[in-house]
Amino acid sequence: MTRMPTLRCLASAALLFGASPAALAAEEMTQQRIAVAITETLAGHNPYGDAVVLIGSLWCKVYGCLMRYDFETGRPIPFLAESMEAEDELNWIVRLRPDWVRSNGDPVLAEDVVHSIDRVRNDPESTSGFIVQPIDTAEVVDDLTVRITTHEPTATLADNLTLLQITSKRLYDEHGQSVYRSHPIGAGPYRLSELSIGSHMVLERVDDHPMVAPSNPQQIMYRIMAEPEARVTALANGEVQIAQGIPPQLIDRIEQLPNARTEFANSVEMMFLAMNPATAPWDVKEARQAVAHAINREGIVRALLGDRATLLDGPVGEGQFGFDPDFKSPYGYDPERARELLESVDLVGVEIDFYTPVGRYTADRQIAEAMVPMLEEAGFSVNLRTPEWATLWSNVQTGGVPFYYMGRGQMLDPSRALRQYFETGGSPRLEFSDPELDALLQAERAAFDPDERYGLMRQAIAKLTEEVPAHFLWLHQMAWGVAETVEYTPRQADRVDGWDIHIRTAP
Amino acid sequence: MLAFTVKRLFGVIPVLLVVSLMIFALMQAAPGDPVSMLVSDEASAEDRERIAAAWGLDQPAPVQYANFVKNAATGDFGTSFRYREPVMDLVLARLPASIELALYATLLAIAVGIPLGVLAAARPNSVFDTIGSIGGFFGISMPNFWLGILMILIFAGYLNILPSGGREPWGLDLPRITGFLTLDAVLQGRWDALVHALRYLALPTIVLGTAMTGIIMQITRASMLENLGEDYVMTARAKGLSNRVVLWRHAFRNALVSVITIIGLEFGALISGAIIVETVFSWPGIGLLLIQGITFRDFPLITGLVLIYTTLFVLLNVFIDILYTIVDPRIRMR
Repeated sequence: MTRMPTLRCLASAALLFGASPAALAAEEMTQQRIAVAITETLAGHNPYGDAVVLIGSLWCKVYGCLMRYDFETGRPIPFLAESMEAEDELNWIVRLRPDWVRSNGDPVLAEDVVHSIDRVRNDPESTSGFIVQPIDTAEVVDDLTVRITTHEPTATLADNLTLLQITSKRLYDEHGQSVYRSHPIGAGPYRLSELSIGSHMVLERVDDHPMVAPSNPQQIMYRIMAEPEARVTALANGEVQIAQGIPPQLIDRIEQLPNARTEFANSVEMMFLAMNPATAPWDVKEARQAVAHAINREGIVRALLGDRATLLDGPVGEGQFGFDPDFKSPYGYDPERARELLESVDLVGVEIDFYTPVGRYTADRQIAEAMVPMLEEAGFSVNLRTPEWATLWSNVQTGGVPFYYMGRGQMLDPSRALRQYFETGGSPRLEFSDPELDALLQAERAAFDPDERYGLMRQAIAKLTEEVPAHFLWLHQMAWGVAETVEYTPRQADRVDGWDIHIRTAP
Repeated sequence: MLAFTVKRLFGVIPVLLVVSLMIFALMQAAPGDPVSMLVSDEASAEDRERIAAAWGLDQPAPVQYANFVKNAATGDFGTSFRYREPVMDLVLARLPASIELALYATLLAIAVGIPLGVLAAARPNSVFDTIGSIGGFFGISMPNFWLGILMILIFAGYLNILPSGGREPWGLDLPRITGFLTLDAVLQGRWDALVHALRYLALPTIVLGTAMTGIIMQITRASMLENLGEDYVMTARAKGLSNRVVLWRHAFRNALVSVITIIGLEFGALISGAIIVETVFSWPGIGLLLIQGITFRDFPLITGLVLIYTTLFVLLNVFIDILYTIVDPRIRMR
């Protein structure tokens, strides 16, 4: 008698946990809803307080940014702006669209642009002051027109403004700093529906927004899933429809799934070996050249990255500004030449510390480990250092790390990155200085004619590659898992824009 | 008992001061700085200086610590560098998730570990005892991250009967009363929500509870074996009591004190030590928060969390001390 209820309980439990249909997780998904598994964390409600590129782009979807990237042409195009024109070398006139309003009906005004520039610069929570660093003043010309004055001629200002979310001055004046939580009202094509810090964010389509189509998902949940296995499993069982950051060893698993596929996009994050010329032996050009000749990039890409990377002949690849398909790096894989170069400056046997992050980039540690024997074959005596990311990154930012494997993202237009790493005084990360390169980089920033600027950028890239303060390695091809129910082509710059996602209708 | 409890609670204060000082000193001594982790890849030197000043990181370490202690005394653990929210708000929002997970893992461990331990002790050196002991060691030695990924692959991947992570499905729409999803579902009669909550709990509970099950099983077995050799057990047997009564009413009751001690300690460890499980299963608890805090060198968040862990741990021990008197009336508070 007493055993029957127990058996019944067990049977109920089995039903509870086991009898659900196969695609259990898909129960939450409808034709109009999708979930995207992302790897980075969400810092909070303040759009200016998150340094993560992907999260910044989500805030652009909610608030709207002044400009956005057209990935087909590789150029910034207007978003909330209707036009952006240079009056002269220092002054820009930005005209706002008269017909796009916030989801509460408020217009987007020039005072909002001025206010947003001020928040990025002065909000104590802002982590992105670099966006407005070139801007000296911003003034309202009329309700829909702003004049932006830069400190120096800055042809790349539009690139900066692709990262500038336009928040409402009126709402900020009414609600203060809590406005981002209480009234996250923007003029973007999606509105914030829910945000759980460090966990997930739900965006809801603004149906009458000009940038959305009926096939775009009505709701998108961006869900943080740190573990790659969990992301792939969630994709397999329908819990998520798009999964970011699929490591090479899991690509095959996705390709065997009946309900998902892998899509690839070249990253715009150049991977490179930085050699700080302020430290020995990197003050000797031949030592830097020896490194460039010693590394068998083709072998590493084939063996460790499954051929999922594009080799670089300079800091940029296809789709990035300044890319020249005819330009070839003078530093091919040639271990004998590498040794000759070291011998020529009597540096054979020189001891070097080689730093690599661990777990930050695809197969970073394995790649660095593979480079050690290559460098030793050239004549270096290598100590591989593998500090925790926070330690290494902090040390790189404050300067003094002599030789390291690193990536630099946000390089659709490489101007800011090249200035930061390679121009005299750009940052302490590399401490490289070359007056000729400085002049070229300054000239390209000041060249408003795109063709002229492209020419100058090409010259700067050639000079930089030849001087080899860094050996440019490759752009990773980032793998994304995409459900068959969804049409989505990943973009180069870690963005998952709702208007790029289309729900496939059942045949 | 009241005097004892009050005395124990006051004893927490110096412990918290020492712990906070140690954590603060360790964080200061650790390489890497929070500003580097807060700013964008493109940040300029001015950005770094502005952010350091905004968070008080440009002040000397003793001043930073004094400010922290002064505020912590009023329950204000500061604002998280990374999340820009008061640490207490962040913790309170996530604590129910961690406690709920730890509770279910503990219940699972008790439900499985104690009977197995008692039965293994009842038949020492038998096949059952050997298998139980091997199972116990297996549970203790199994790495959480490995077991977690294995469970995800099997139950969420191949069998596809349980979700791979998270705490609740999208759009569950269950108003929070206590923050414990299963309890909230029961209180509101939302049986659908209860089923969902239990499904999401299942895998992390099993993974988190596995090690504890092994420990409880081993401790129960050892404690039972010790008690089964005592004179009072022989007396009970001589009186003709059944083996079941001797085991459960006499020996087990006396063995329970050490089992309760280990359950209490392990429960505390589960709340604070679920970091890996919470990461693997994207479980939105304080373990995940702590690992994010460490990654970003979020000093206020780390220090606040450790202090909260410490407080919970001490309170739990006080509770266990009280529980002793219920289990064994011979124990008196002095």
